[in-house]
Amino acid sequence: MSDFHAATLDARARLVDALVRTGEEDRSAFRDLYALTSAKLFGICYRICGERQAAEDVLHDVYVTIWKRAGAYEPHRASPITWLATITRNRAIDWRRAQGVRRTTPIEDAPPIPDDAPLVSETMLADEAAHRLHACLQGLEARQRDAIRTAFFDGVTYAELAERQEVPLGTMKSWVRRGLARLRECLER
Amino acid sequence: MPGAMSDDQTPGEAPDMAAAELALGLLDGEERAQALRRVLAEHGFAQEVERWRRHLAQLFDLWPAITPPPGVLERVEWTIDGPAAMQVETRAGRRWFWPVAAALSSVAAAALLLVIVLHPFDHGAPPQARPTAPAAAPETILVASIDPVEKGLPVTAVYDPAAATLRLTAAPLGDAKRSAELWVIAGDGVPHSLGLLHDAGGTALTVAPANRARLAAGATLAVSLEPVGGSPTGLPTGPVVAKGALSRV
Repeated sequence: MSDFHAATLDARARLVDALVRTGEEDRSAFRDLYALTSAKLFGICYRICGERQAAEDVLHDVYVTIWKRAGAYEPHRASPITWLATITRNRAIDWRRAQGVRRTTPIEDAPPIPDDAPLVSETMLADEAAHRLHACLQGLEARQRDAIRTAFFDGVTYAELAERQEVPLGTMKSWVRRGLARLRECLER
Repeated sequence: MPGAMSDDQTPGEAPDMAAAELALGLLDGEERAQALRRVLAEHGFAQEVERWRRHLAQLFDLWPAITPPPGVLERVEWTIDGPAAMQVETRAGRRWFWPVAAALSSVAAAALLLVIVLHPFDHGAPPQARPTAPAAAPETILVASIDPVEKGLPVTAVYDPAAATLRLTAAPLGDAKRSAELWVIAGDGVPHSLGLLHDAGGTALTVAPANRARLAAGATLAVSLEPVGGSPTGLPTGPVVAKGALSRV
């Protein structure tokens, strides 16, 4: 376990290094960064966009943005993968909303999102905080947990969640708000 | 979980979870706008949104990776190296295109030219027969006449979705002190920059992937005057001096 842990830390250090050097307009560091992160980021684009071509276009856009904005990355504030994944998720959601894409069912050929936390967190935010969210989510009612997870991974709004579950919008909001309130309570414990 | 069962039966107001909802991306329309205004107005709210983002970021660990198709990195680098690469690419088309297009002052004439020269219709299936959703990426060439708000000649814009290129006739709208920046305003009502127009001669722009879907029939193209080099904020800061709507050829 400790070797594994050390390997993860090492991977993160490489990523921080590649991102910081990208911020200094180092093109070879940027290519390393792409090699290290593009599969993760494409996974995000693909699930949210729901189609390959759009996911590819958004991924292109994301890396152009990363190239321009890497100089603003602050290693002490966020893990590199969190920073990159957040940019990607936001961009993919922007694309979806601009398109007016409404999917009432999840895309079929996307790999399923696992239920459990991985053994060692890639994001490694703060050691004691890692995995707290996973544990707290497990403590929610199934439908609250599912709605929150779907909102995060599929990038959908309340309206789409309600449509998918075939419940009135107000009901969906009330489920999710109570779930989020309970989650906050657990996270702050 | 004691008490979990009674949750949804409890009458009364659901708690205010707007910070979490914004961080998750659950909100749209006016609710989203309102939450965004709170981020600007309430420091505590902004911090709470940030806290939720940090918590939720742990979920990124679970996201399955998928290897992207080859060629994306090359395309990214091509975009980064931008203008130089673009000029070489468009020069051949430009040689005949600009003198001809610049002489035209109406969209109809430009459209006709393109139909004849660039884009002969398939005999079997006229393009109008294709079902097209309003938000779907267009497959046919789109044109717009961008008319100056005050005086002057309209600028003709021609968008070729296959090549993702947007060509515009001469637009003497900017000057030494201000750049003329072109924007597209699509369904979301938000201007997205397409790039800067040259002060002299026509302009050819390669449209960024995120903007391609926005260039659809009915979308507005607008030109604003910005500080030299373009808007520093990503949104128009100066006056709109010309605008027009895209339509199908």
